[in-house]
Amino acid sequence: MTGDKGNKLARVIPEGSLSDKLATNPKLDSTSQRRIGDQLRAMYDELMQQPVPDRFKELLDQLDKGSQDKAKNNGNDLEGAK
Amino acid sequence: MTSEPDLREALLAAVPSLRAFAISLSGQVDRADDLVQDTLLRALSNLHRFERGTNLNAWLFTILRNLFHSEYRKRRREVEDPDGSYAGRLKVHPEQGSRLDFEDFRSALAQLPPDQREALLLVGASGFSYEEAAQICGCAVGTIKSRVNRARLRLASLLNVDDVEDLGPDSMTRAALQG
Repeated sequence: MTGDKGNKLARVIPEGSLSDKLATNPKLDSTSQRRIGDQLRAMYDELMQQPVPDRFKELLDQLDKGSQDKAKNNGNDLEGAK
Repeated sequence: MTSEPDLREALLAAVPSLRAFAISLSGQVDRADDLVQDTLLRALSNLHRFERGTNLNAWLFTILRNLFHSEYRKRRREVEDPDGSYAGRLKVHPEQGSRLDFEDFRSALAQLPPDQREALLLVGASGFSYEEAAQICGCAVGTIKSRVNRARLRLASLLNVDDVEDLGPDSMTRAALQG
């Protein structure tokens, strides 16, 4: 993917060809959108494949042991969680 | 309280997607793992607020996203030019969590404003609908659509710097000004 810098990745559909309220924004054609989407998902999939670090397994083991007190103490500011 | 193996499994199953989102959002594996840990701790201590049967992933992403932004605002007060420092850090650590193949893409992603980056990641990679992404970000669906569109446009121009004839500075500036 990094090899095709010279390709026409980004062709912009001229304004006025869009009927929605974003008409004043230039918009990518579907080919460019798909290529960006493919790269994004490829990068993301690789991250998803990484093994889960032990710290998270250990953290969640607290749940099985029924010891949620530690979690409570560490997660004091509750208001951010909606 | 709830100490169910099911719930533990569900939270554990959510970790890979939370990490992928956090790494892509923050650009740093260490910081991302701290974000994920804080998210899990907060989720554990707020389980009573979670409505059973609703989307656990969306709830967790909301927590993580809010943590990221409160931290980002804090850092922004402390350090000027947060975008520049973000991009710089990412270039220094391209090997973390990514093959070289994605270096260009990650570096382009890093140059997006955080709002656009998160909208694109939620809709384009994490598998959320526009409606779910709007709920997670606490904004209108149209705002998400607009951010995703601008994010794609900017990525296209960043990844295609040699071919600027169709996407000149004028349309770039116009797109930027419409933020």
